[in-house]
Amino acid sequence: MAPAAKAMMGTRAEFPAESAPVAYAGPVDFSKSLPAAGTFPKRWICGSESAMDNTDPAVQVHWYNEHTAVLRQNKCYSYEAPFMMLYFGNERMLMIDQGFNSLRSDWPLRDVVDDCINTWAKKHGRKAEELELLLAFSHLHADHYAAQNEFVDRPNTRIMGLTHEEMVGFWGMTNYPEERVVLDLGGREIWIWGSPGHVMSEFAYYDTYTQILYTGDMFYRGRCYISFWQPWFDSMTRLMHFLDKYPVTHVVGCHVEMGSKGEDYPYGVTWQPEEAPWQLTVAELRHAYEVAKTITKPGIYFTGGVYLCNQTRGTTTIDKNPYAYESS
Amino acid sequence: MNQAQTPAYNPALSGNPQSATGRVYPNGNPVSPLNPAEAKNTDSCVPLHHTGEVVHNYQCDGPAPGTIGFRWIYGSVIAARNKDPRVQVMQYNEDTYILRENICVHWEGPFTYLLFGNRGALLIDTGAISKAEWYPLRKTVEDIVARWAKMRGKSKVPLTVVMTSGEDIAQNMGLAQFAGRPDTVLAPKSLPEIKAFYKLSASWPAGTGKIDLGDRVIDVLPTPGTHKDGVSFYDPYCDFLFTGDFLYPGKIQIGNDKDFVASLERLKQWKDAHPVKWVMGGHIEMQFVPAKAYPRFYTYKPYERVLQMEPDLIDEALKYAKEVVGQEVVLIRPDFHLLNRVSPDQKTLVFPEGVANINAPRPF
Repeated sequence: MAPAAKAMMGTRAEFPAESAPVAYAGPVDFSKSLPAAGTFPKRWICGSESAMDNTDPAVQVHWYNEHTAVLRQNKCYSYEAPFMMLYFGNERMLMIDQGFNSLRSDWPLRDVVDDCINTWAKKHGRKAEELELLLAFSHLHADHYAAQNEFVDRPNTRIMGLTHEEMVGFWGMTNYPEERVVLDLGGREIWIWGSPGHVMSEFAYYDTYTQILYTGDMFYRGRCYISFWQPWFDSMTRLMHFLDKYPVTHVVGCHVEMGSKGEDYPYGVTWQPEEAPWQLTVAELRHAYEVAKTITKPGIYFTGGVYLCNQTRGTTTIDKNPYAYESS
Repeated sequence: MNQAQTPAYNPALSGNPQSATGRVYPNGNPVSPLNPAEAKNTDSCVPLHHTGEVVHNYQCDGPAPGTIGFRWIYGSVIAARNKDPRVQVMQYNEDTYILRENICVHWEGPFTYLLFGNRGALLIDTGAISKAEWYPLRKTVEDIVARWAKMRGKSKVPLTVVMTSGEDIAQNMGLAQFAGRPDTVLAPKSLPEIKAFYKLSASWPAGTGKIDLGDRVIDVLPTPGTHKDGVSFYDPYCDFLFTGDFLYPGKIQIGNDKDFVASLERLKQWKDAHPVKWVMGGHIEMQFVPAKAYPRFYTYKPYERVLQMEPDLIDEALKYAKEVVGQEVVLIRPDFHLLNRVSPDQKTLVFPEGVANINAPRPF
């Protein structure tokens, strides 16, 4: 790693303690005591009032458990501050989303990910170079794939292409969005299916180990910009059917755009001092579906857990002009 | 051999990048007078020692010479790694300075103006951050004042700090830094006090006030419309109108449409009766491609429009302001947007006819 990149990563407190390599003790058993427990940070790093005075790490790394890392881009590196998932299996890793800056010299996502993989490999007696990295993304928006080119020269890495055709082809789907594909990471299955509505090319990802359901920008703690109502509603219905059949511990998306009291943080801010939790409950997802059933017109609807922005166009918010006044 | 006849100089073909600035003869027009009337001997730096205070002559036939000779800094891809000055300062001329807050300190990137007269200085607007460590406005102003005072042989320069709106947190936050400063008068922040401060309690908003800096008298024009306490300032030396966020190249958030129109009417009357070189706003949000604006909160705006606005834009703003009265609407013009009774993030699909619709590329 370049020294500058190392410096930019700042504190390593989020990583498990560094230790000497451990001898290989056989494959991890991902089938026992499900769902695998995990934790969320009390508070995610959330920008600063003066962006140029921010000294936080460029990427916050939080290990949900020892086989699952959550990465978040610093809000003062990109106001989108997207969340990214890194799932480890015995044979390979799946990384969902690659953030919103494209140059390794600006934002060393590649170095942070390599560091996570090295940490995991060392801890489990594995050689990092033997593990294949799959780079996929939730949907075709630049804040979810911008840094993928930092990985083009990385060995043992496969990168999802930037067209709908390549995305669907990457998972071998022939019946998008209904078809559910099982991706085997080596003892750990990720289930993937289509989830259009925010955009037409989007996937939902379900991790059978943590039982976390990842819903991208189609459903997250903030303003769900619904470009296409009927496909979105159908995707919600698909999620409801999934919830009826399978256990889900948490529902997570790509951003947080709300405060803990439900306040809307407008699009583009680089400081969100009182963020609501990133993860949503199954009840919140179900309730949003009930609210969605009553929506017949474009507009912004607050469900209590998220904002549903039905065809309001991206970046719109509920903000008002604070200086508006009546004639005296 | 006879020298070939030189074809007429065509600045567009000169290859000189200055030609793009609108200065037709960037290196001097050979047919212009070499000693133009506007050229003034101010405080000549030729004498080795001044014998006393320099008295500057602020009378001029046209606008005082001056220029914005550099580009405004525009943030960086990674705001957290921005290393630009926190306050950018440009000397417009020896008695006029333009300051801008780094957009990686605060996205509004407010402009602040510092004007000098023979008996004092005036600071118009104070920026969006009060914390001096992040935004050292007072320190910067004091450094400029000290340099100017030395140059003019002044032992003290009284400072007046005013704002284009007392309530606007994009322009009033730096005021706190000047609290308790000796020889300094601070404008108040509440509307009744503002009216009294400019002696306009009886005549607001039709009346005008004055701030005398010593042979440079700044006119105070009430311009409520984006703020109920909005004020514009007219400088008869540079022929500038300082309008804050009432009229600027950006997304103008109308606070009260009737007041906005009425104030624009008064501003137009003022412009028709007084020479105006440029309208100088408090921010830039437009891009240099026509009619496109940056969203709020951006910390990297490489395609920013220039700050200065031609005075004709007052007429244009008035014309379109009348159209939006009573409506919930975003109205797009090449040099500004008008937002009336809508969210600051409201968008529209209506794009003005006859304007080139160009999208600047994503900047990374």
